[in-house]
Amino acid sequence: MITREEIIRLTNEALKAEFELTDEQLVPTAHLQQDVGLDSLDAVDMVVVLEQKFGMTLRQGYDIRSIVTLNDLYDFIEKLAREAGK
Amino acid sequence: MYTLRTWFNTLIIGPLAIVWLFVSGLLAAPFLLLFPDKTGRRVRRFVYLQSRGIMFFVRLCARKFTVRPLPHPSTPCIVVANHASALDLYTVSVLGFRHVLYITKGWVFKLPFFRFVMRGAGYVDAEKTPPEEMLALCKRGLENGCDIVLFPQGSRKNPQARFKSGAFYLAEMLQVPVIPVAISGTEEMLPSGSLCLHPANITLTTLPAVNAADFNGPVVHLEMARTVRKQIMDVVNKENVK
Repeated sequence: MITREEIIRLTNEALKAEFELTDEQLVPTAHLQQDVGLDSLDAVDMVVVLEQKFGMTLRQGYDIRSIVTLNDLYDFIEKLAREAGK
Repeated sequence: MYTLRTWFNTLIIGPLAIVWLFVSGLLAAPFLLLFPDKTGRRVRRFVYLQSRGIMFFVRLCARKFTVRPLPHPSTPCIVVANHASALDLYTVSVLGFRHVLYITKGWVFKLPFFRFVMRGAGYVDAEKTPPEEMLALCKRGLENGCDIVLFPQGSRKNPQARFKSGAFYLAEMLQVPVIPVAISGTEEMLPSGSLCLHPANITLTTLPAVNAADFNGPVVHLEMARTVRKQIMDVVNKENVK
């Protein structure tokens, strides 16, 4: 079973590579739009890179728009990973 | 730096360009309203002529104005360019893209006067249009012979910003070439948030077409976005240090 630490590491790794972010920006309380600087169109790309990173679909059955902070994003992926038995 | 040329551009040429926008709009409006066409072709033709006019004024403001076009591909295509100035919208007109469909952010559709042109020409709101509808609208536009123009950085705030992948997703799904366009100098002439027109060396360069079929990665449109951004920014950065 994938651990939360592993989820955080992989998520940050993917976000840093795609969006050229720094470690300082990727604190769990960071607001994805205001602090990290991702807009709605970036969010679409974020979902694609995370799906690729974790090998699971993030788009079906859940409202991704409810994700506001990085912590929300980690929670969301953790929940999906548990459901998928990863 | 504010030179005499900056003041001349800002106080004389800039207002003339605005007069051109309004006078040409007022002259064209009765014809466009009396003879509407469903495809928006006439409005797009009008936008092309207006853009050529604006680029004439940009030439007058520039220290040096260089255009490096390539022949248009045999099929309609998706044109992507870097975006650092409000002037960028007009630049594709001098590179041989005459019949274009812009995909822009929603706020442009709220501007007085411009919103009528945007709707009349059939331009697409990138924020409000669902992906399936966007694909259908772009497909129809390409079938009508339009080139689709996007600025994948999405904003003028950061000239080095990453390219969002939407344009490349469209190219992959619709199997059309992407034509990269490198715009340099417009940021110096009219930076985001400024009303002054500084003299600058403007260079507009069309780069060779990029096709989704040339990419093998797991997420082709993201790979394309990264590659095309690098191609464009390499040209822009090279021009900026000249």
